[in-house]
Amino acid sequence: MISALLELRHLRAAYEQIEVLHGVDLVVPPASVVALLGPNGAGKSTTLRVVAGLHAPSGGDVFIAGRRVNGARADDLARAGLCLIPEGKGIFPNLTVRENLRMATFTGTPLAQIEEVSFTRFPRLRERRRQLAGTLSGGEQQMLAMARGLATDPALLLLDELSMGLAPIIVEELYEMVAQVAREGVSILVVEQFARTVLGVADYAAIMVHGQIVRVGRPDELEAELSAAYLGG
Amino acid sequence: MIESQQRVDDFRQEVADMRLRDPATSRDRNLLRVGVLMMLVGIVLTVVAYLGSQGASAAYNTSGPAEQRDYIIVAIMGLTISVVGAALFVRYSFASFLRFWLARLIYEQQAQTDRIVGSTGEDTTD
Repeated sequence: MISALLELRHLRAAYEQIEVLHGVDLVVPPASVVALLGPNGAGKSTTLRVVAGLHAPSGGDVFIAGRRVNGARADDLARAGLCLIPEGKGIFPNLTVRENLRMATFTGTPLAQIEEVSFTRFPRLRERRRQLAGTLSGGEQQMLAMARGLATDPALLLLDELSMGLAPIIVEELYEMVAQVAREGVSILVVEQFARTVLGVADYAAIMVHGQIVRVGRPDELEAELSAAYLGG
Repeated sequence: MIESQQRVDDFRQEVADMRLRDPATSRDRNLLRVGVLMMLVGIVLTVVAYLGSQGASAAYNTSGPAEQRDYIIVAIMGLTISVVGAALFVRYSFASFLRFWLARLIYEQQAQTDRIVGSTGEDTTD
């Protein structure tokens, strides 16, 4: 049996005294896309931060590739092959596209190879390679963030609010890329507030409300329950 | 897909080889505590040395000055321990604050860039 690449067991997390995750259980099987959906403030981004090692859990366990990794450093996880593309893209606005991509060379991959792969995936970035990242459009900035993340050759990709502030056509384009990356064998956990597009590429989806997973299933099973979750029903 | 399976296997191996530390026993927090403890121990040692020297014989014989020198050495050791403890305390109490400050600086720089880009009239919302 192939074990899950990411598994959360009764995961709890808090900011100071305020607990925001109240025992989250979630599994991401290898080479699959899992969508974590829920309204604003449900704890979705915190879940990703805990998995990425950016926030220490206050209880429960995070298992990555079958190993309990509570307390693992974010840079160690990144070197191993976990990649978080945070909400707000996380690019360096005052650096050019090329310089942003250079940041991914920490894995030892030459810049030329990173550029080749990135520009093949996102041809628009080739035209913009000398442009400051902060002056790109929102969609191009998200492409750059994804290109830089994928350049590290991740085995587990965490995407936070990929669609935030973007036009629907750009979101569809980005999710086509997500589906392609998943077909290449990368496991993806994607957090989204607005569900429609992500359900089209997800293998499984989970609905999170008030720091707890209330439902897990196939996207078609969950579509009807989403509105109730968002409206507090 | 064979290549991707290889990547997943490599990932499993790298995670398995990863060195982990328990966040509850983080080095920063422990060294901060050691710093506070050293400051207290140093101060106590210095005060004890001072009080001890009060009772020491000041007579000009062989034992008086020697006894006082011992207390002076103990006091200097206490001071040294306090200074090292204070340095540890400052280092590890400021570290977390400076990390936060750096993150805030990066955020504000990004917000400033967004404002400049916004004022040039370019559409970044796509």
